[in-house]
Amino acid sequence: MDRALARDLQERFSDRLLVPVRQRHDETEIRVSLANAVDTLRALHDEPAFGFEMLIDLCGVDTGDEMQVVYHLAAARSADWLRLIVPGIDRAAPRAPSATFMWPGAEWMEREAYDMFGIIFEGNRDLRRIYMPDDYQSHPLRKDFYLADDASRSPAAGVRNMERAGTPRDATAATAVRRAKGA
Amino acid sequence: MTTETTRPTRPSLDDPRVAIPGSSSWYEPAPTPQTERQAEFLNLRDGEMFINMGPQHPSTHGVLRIIVKVNGEQVIDLDPVLGYLHRGVEKLCENADYHQAICYTDPLEYVSSLFCEAAPVAAFEKLMDVEVPRRAQYIRVLTMELNRIASHTLFQGWMALDLGGLTPILWSFIERDEIVDMLAALTGQKLLYNYYRIGGVNGDLNHEFMSRLGAWMSRAAKHIDSNLGLMNENELFVRRTRDLGTLDAATALRMGVTGPNLRASGVPFDLRRDRPYLVYPELEFDVPTRTEGDALARYLVRIEEIKQSIRIIDQVLHEMPDGPVMAKLPRLIRPRPGRAFGAVEGPRGVYGVYAISDGTDQPFRMRIHDPSFVHLQLVGPLTRGNLIADTMAVMASLDPVMGGVDK
Repeated sequence: MDRALARDLQERFSDRLLVPVRQRHDETEIRVSLANAVDTLRALHDEPAFGFEMLIDLCGVDTGDEMQVVYHLAAARSADWLRLIVPGIDRAAPRAPSATFMWPGAEWMEREAYDMFGIIFEGNRDLRRIYMPDDYQSHPLRKDFYLADDASRSPAAGVRNMERAGTPRDATAATAVRRAKGA
Repeated sequence: MTTETTRPTRPSLDDPRVAIPGSSSWYEPAPTPQTERQAEFLNLRDGEMFINMGPQHPSTHGVLRIIVKVNGEQVIDLDPVLGYLHRGVEKLCENADYHQAICYTDPLEYVSSLFCEAAPVAAFEKLMDVEVPRRAQYIRVLTMELNRIASHTLFQGWMALDLGGLTPILWSFIERDEIVDMLAALTGQKLLYNYYRIGGVNGDLNHEFMSRLGAWMSRAAKHIDSNLGLMNENELFVRRTRDLGTLDAATALRMGVTGPNLRASGVPFDLRRDRPYLVYPELEFDVPTRTEGDALARYLVRIEEIKQSIRIIDQVLHEMPDGPVMAKLPRLIRPRPGRAFGAVEGPRGVYGVYAISDGTDQPFRMRIHDPSFVHLQLVGPLTRGNLIADTMAVMASLDPVMGGVDK
């Protein structure tokens, strides 16, 4: 754990951090709101004190209540990787700023997040589906998406289907109802 | 009165082709552009045309379709179409428990599947706060480096094959087969090993593995050197790859490139050094870099890495301690709620898994980051202005594996 990095982050971004800096193993985690995301990314990349030049990963997360965009950044100054979480994105119409102004390599990762979660990245020049067919309607990694032939699904319309108890009879009925609805 | 048979405008309702007026043939209109970039791509100027490469083209290292916009023999632009191998592994992992998730990730990058296991295992171990026994760490390093050599030798053959040379792939398969047989003796599988477990490995080294490894090590360096003579001293190969698809360090960083492709552009970023995991800090090895950033440099960096891997294996065999190979863990893995990013330096770059636990026995979210996916974006920028045949040379030098790209 890089304590100096945590201290620097806390000092520099004290006005916009939603929760204090968290550290575990070799990862440092900060959370900023959607409005501050671009400024924070730019500061982390440009300021020599941080120098997070590498975007290791960009992904979407659906928590069931909200969408998140998660960035993993690496810098030469520290063995710690920085995880920047942008929480609180509206699940009904998810929109987030694109990181392609800084990292053009984020283009496909954003396309993937759009394909899988429906998050619209404003500023991405090529935001279309990447894995699923162009005429596909839903977004598979959202928590309200069901696996098509999940025989183990419980009748509860929940997310954690293997967690919920359900009798096989109920499961069959639920499957039948879903098929009838064409879902 | 003339009898004119009215021809339908489309062959059938589900056929996208439409009739050409005044002719008996059909044509398929270009799709409606959905984005700015696609509109730019679909706009044909004088003398330009589209050519489809794939999805079953033999040089695409999997099932990839590339729409190439050409003017004569020159590539103007290209647009890769992914998804032919998409299996939805991330979704499957969310519906499997932690042990099952590991074997779902196995077939992603099928030429180096031990790395695909190592990344989720590293993430889950961080979630569980479990310490891997020393011997298991050494075994992981040993098997991963063997897998890296197998992957890089195969790359060497593929690259030659994509440039039109048939012999090197036969030679590199000799090397690879020996390593694959060795790992099969250890894990029981030839390709998808499923050998790593949360907290250790599945079974200690056995006699057959060790004897095969010893026999291979005694001649590995010599064999690999003789394979190299076939390509490094081949004027055709060198002249075709030098100054082809040059990638400078600044662009590489902005494009999110990692692994040998980044090191060939002069950035010495290697997770084994810069974000150490397992016992790598105790081992002695170099991080080979080159500054040219062209296809030849990417090839030479990988060759140098094979030699460093042999060096690592040598040290591991001398220093491996005795002891258990599995940590004590409950049967049912239920990490506390939290987040972890496990990453390993794979033969293609940073292979990472971002796992979120919500306290149940299934990962709440499991994001798989594959370096090939990022590198494939570069095929367009690096081949613009080159000849069609160079598309394949550039792609081979980036070494993507479509199983990983499509997840």
